[in-house]
Amino acid sequence: MNAAKPKPKVVFEAVAKDFERRGEALRVLDPIDLVVREGEFVCLLGPSGCGKSTLLSIAGGFEPPTAGRVLIDGEPVSAPSPRRVFVFQEYGIFPWASVWDNVALGLRALSKEQQYERIQATIDLVGLTGFEKSYPMELSGGMKQRVGVARALAVAPDVIYMDEPFGALDSLTRLTMRAELIRIWQTRRPTILFVTHDVDESIQLADRVVVFSPRPGRIAGIVEVGLPHPRDLGSSRYGEIKNELYELLGVRHAI
Amino acid sequence: MSLAIALVVAALVGLRLASRWSLGARRWLMPVCVAALGVALWHGACALTQTKIFPTPLESFGAIFELGRTSRLWNDVVASLFRVTWGFGLAAAVGIPLGLWIGWSSRSFLALNPLVQALRPISPIAWIPIAILWFGIGDLSAIFLIFLASIFPIVVGTTAAVQNIPQVYVRSAANFGLAGFDLVRRVVLPAAMPQIITSLRIALGVAWLVIVAAEMVGMQSGLGYLVSDARNMGKRYDLVVAAMILIGLIGIVLDVLVRRLEQFDEVRWGFAKR
Repeated sequence: MNAAKPKPKVVFEAVAKDFERRGEALRVLDPIDLVVREGEFVCLLGPSGCGKSTLLSIAGGFEPPTAGRVLIDGEPVSAPSPRRVFVFQEYGIFPWASVWDNVALGLRALSKEQQYERIQATIDLVGLTGFEKSYPMELSGGMKQRVGVARALAVAPDVIYMDEPFGALDSLTRLTMRAELIRIWQTRRPTILFVTHDVDESIQLADRVVVFSPRPGRIAGIVEVGLPHPRDLGSSRYGEIKNELYELLGVRHAI
Repeated sequence: MSLAIALVVAALVGLRLASRWSLGARRWLMPVCVAALGVALWHGACALTQTKIFPTPLESFGAIFELGRTSRLWNDVVASLFRVTWGFGLAAAVGIPLGLWIGWSSRSFLALNPLVQALRPISPIAWIPIAILWFGIGDLSAIFLIFLASIFPIVVGTTAAVQNIPQVYVRSAANFGLAGFDLVRRVVLPAAMPQIITSLRIALGVAWLVIVAAEMVGMQSGLGYLVSDARNMGKRYDLVVAAMILIGLIGIVLDVLVRRLEQFDEVRWGFAKR
């Protein structure tokens, strides 16, 4: 796939995390080393409670690691920044603001005309044209999540963190949203770190899938997907990857 | 007595038929039927006990008309609403920012919350001597008492509203670099607004509730004054009850007015799924 390997974008250096519980340190993440390259789409796959979301929060600058550090473009992460934007599971957008105002959130520094242009272009890109004045409660779950994606894309971030963004959607909407996400990613080429516990989702989206084992979280293995988009979900290679991932997760693939 | 029985029958038939009305009509007619039932029971109780002192419904409604014929009714309503508007308005103007601050900053919560909780249970009636001492006899004292009664529901409600803001909104705000006044205006205040409106609703109810107590500070006007005045001047219990009915009816109007705030696009999300 990548003949000339792009430079590293997000680098995890022995990132570990403990949570305090009743005065005792509870280890949620064993030291994690991982390099995500520029423009790469990486899925963090694992069961609930494996620390993958915590790792994403640390990369986003929302929580400090107990040990180790995260570097972006060689700079250690210490706080959240609009250069690297989070898309949360469904309810991250503001219900009190219209679609337009939600997307405008990160563009306050721009002039009125620049804002207008950028907001309209982003809303068009995610397919919400005509819903600019709608409020989130008037939208379906899928459309709400498009707003979340648009709000992130509007600031043209280098890195987008997505924490199970399609988890609350029905399975058909989820498929559409994945295809849309790939289309948008191919247009803008941001680096994406995408947390999921859905094996199929990770194979459909990622360049590489990083599999986590639970409690304390550690990397069980990394699988290169290496299939061109659009991906044929019935291909034999798809099935092989799926088996490989299930094996790394330690789950039987046959019931 | 036959009038009371007729009213009871009419009200019960009305409630029985309620399912045939449209929702809009039901919203009006069902409470009216229940009120008619109450009036009928009241009338029946007066007739049975042959009371000479307690006014019948007819006497009480007559008293309202008597007040209406002179300009007293209008003057008293306006005087009371004036004091409640100022007391409540000041309470909102001070209480909302104070609640936002206490709710947002854990330091100010630690420092100020015990004080708020200590002052909150003190009845406004206990403050009457101090109100007179500080503000003398007049509107200011009454406004001060209404302010005291209504600020605590606002502060406590706003504090809780801010503390309940989901982490995901706070993180979104931090992610897009919101800070300071921008953060309050664009995230903290709107996220807390539905609960703030609910606390305003409670506070306005309390403000109107204490109007009788607030007008005990030597006021010469107002519905609260009317209650104590009517009792003192020749035991006019019909006027007492008339004033009580008027206070109740105006209370409904005030509540309907505050609930209008729930319809704004910016806060509808907070009331939709209940």
